[in-house]
Amino acid sequence: MGFLRNLGEVFTILKHIFRQIFKRPFTSLYPFEDRPYPERTRGRHIHVRQNCTACAQCVRACPVLAIRIDKADKMYEKDAALYFDYTRCIFCGLCVDACRFDALYHTPIVDMAEGEREDLIYGPEKITTLDREPLEWRGRRFR
Amino acid sequence: MTPDILDETVEVWFGPQHVSAHGWATKLKLVGDFIVECDPHAGYFHRSAEKCLEYRNFRQGSPILERLCMLEAFLAEYPYISAVEQIAGLVVPERAKVLRTIMMEASRIHSYQFWWGQLSAEMGFFAMTLWPWVDREFFLDTFEELTGVRHSPHFSTPGGLRFDFTEKVLAKLEKAIQVLEYNMPKFEDMLMKSPLFRMRTEGVGQYSAKEALRWGLSGPNIKACGIPMDLRKDQPDPNLAYDMVDWEVPILEHPDHPGESDAYDRMVQRFNEVKTSVDIIKQLIPQIPDGPIIDPKARAKANRLPEGEAYGRVEGARGITSLWLKTLEKAQTPYRAKIRGPCFHSYYALKHLVPSARFADFIVIFGSLDPYPGWWDR
Repeated sequence: MGFLRNLGEVFTILKHIFRQIFKRPFTSLYPFEDRPYPERTRGRHIHVRQNCTACAQCVRACPVLAIRIDKADKMYEKDAALYFDYTRCIFCGLCVDACRFDALYHTPIVDMAEGEREDLIYGPEKITTLDREPLEWRGRRFR
Repeated sequence: MTPDILDETVEVWFGPQHVSAHGWATKLKLVGDFIVECDPHAGYFHRSAEKCLEYRNFRQGSPILERLCMLEAFLAEYPYISAVEQIAGLVVPERAKVLRTIMMEASRIHSYQFWWGQLSAEMGFFAMTLWPWVDREFFLDTFEELTGVRHSPHFSTPGGLRFDFTEKVLAKLEKAIQVLEYNMPKFEDMLMKSPLFRMRTEGVGQYSAKEALRWGLSGPNIKACGIPMDLRKDQPDPNLAYDMVDWEVPILEHPDHPGESDAYDRMVQRFNEVKTSVDIIKQLIPQIPDGPIIDPKARAKANRLPEGEAYGRVEGARGITSLWLKTLEKAQTPYRAKIRGPCFHSYYALKHLVPSARFADFIVIFGSLDPYPGWWDR
C-alpha cells in the first residue's frame, strides 16, 4: 500500500507541474519590456538649484558620506553645487527627507550602470538635469 | 592489528566558495560518507555593523541594521528603533504601531517564502524553487509601492514611520495575501506530500527541546519542538499592536516524537507560522486607525539622547533578534551597540547536530535551521 500511496502522491505533484506549464510566464523580457515604477521609487536624485539654500542638511543626513557640497560654486543667489557619489549611495532617502526647501528629489531612474567608476560621481551638471525621459534610460545599450 | 578508523578522516571545507555557502565556511571531517566532526567558522561575512553604528546618529542607524538580513528587513531594523525610542522616551502614534506590525508580519511571510525556495534548491528539488519566489514578488511590489524600494526599505524611524499607507499599498498587500492563500495548498502538496522530500528530511537533524534550549535556539526552530516560546506573546512590545489581535502561538507536536523536531517538522512549522502571520494581518487591516504616523517632535528628540541603556527586541523570522544600546549624556551617536542575531546560535548548533550524519544530509540540516550569514557575522 505504501507504494501505491507514494505513486498517488507523485501524481499529485505531477498534476501541479503540468498545470504550471500552461500558465503565462511571470517574467518579462527586461530590456525591451518594462514594468511601471511606483511614485515613491527611490532612484537617482535630481537637484533643483533654484530652490537650494546651501544649508547642507542633506550632507549631514547622509549615513554613507555620499554627498559633497561646494558652497563657492553659485549659479543663483544662495545655492550650492552638489556632488553625488553613486558608488557609495545606498538610496536610503534620508537626504530627500532632510531637504526642507524642495530642492532634492528622487527620480524613478534605477538603471544607472556605467563603464567607469568616475562616471558614477554625478557632478553639478549631471545631477541637475535629466537628459532623457525616465523610460528611455532602460536598456539603451541593448536596443 | 586493525588501523584506527579515525586515522582515515578526510577534511573538507564546505564554503566559502561553495554555491550553497553564501558567505560562510564549515570545516568537516569525514570518514567515508559520514561526518565525524564539524567546525563552523564565522567571519567570512563580517562587515563590522556594530562599529558602523557607533559612527552614525540615531536616525542613520537603521539602514545598517536592515542590511544584516535583507529578507526580514522590516523586522531587522526594529530592535535599534525600539532601543532608541526607549532611551529617548518617544511616544509612537497608534496608526504607526498598527502599520509597523502589519509590515513586520508581511516581512516575515516574505522571508519564509524565500526559504521554501532556498531549501528546495539546496536539495535539488528545482520545481519548487521558483514558485514561492513568484508569490514573493507580490510582497516585494507592496514594499516598493510603500517605501520606494524592494529591499532595504528603511521604513521605521525613531518615533514613528517614514511612509504612510495608501489605497494602492493596501490593494497590493491584499492581492499578495490572496495569491499566497491560493497557492499555499499547492506548496503543501509539493513539500509535505512529496515522498522524496520526506525521505530526505524525516529523521534528519533531530534534536530535543532540551538541547535546543541549551544551544540557544529560538523562533520556529524551537517552536517545532512544541515549546510555545514567542516574544510577541511572552513580552508584548508596547510599540507594536499584537495585543489588538486574537491569535495563538503556532507550535508543532509530532505524534511520533513529541518534544523533538527534525528537518521535516521545522518545514511544517514554517507553514504554520505563515498561516498565523496571514491571520494577524487580516485582523489588523480593518483596525488601522486614522491619525499621524510620526510624532512631530520625534525628529528633534532623536537628535540628542540622554544617558541610558535599552534593550530592543523582536521575534524575527529566524528567532529572537535584539540589540543592546548604551548612550552617554547628550549623545549624538551610540556609545556601544551589541547585536544578538538569531542565526549565530543555530549556526554553532551544527557542531552538535551534524556529527554522525551523512555528508549529503549536511546541507539539509543546515538549510532547515534557516540560516542567514548576516546574523552571525555582525
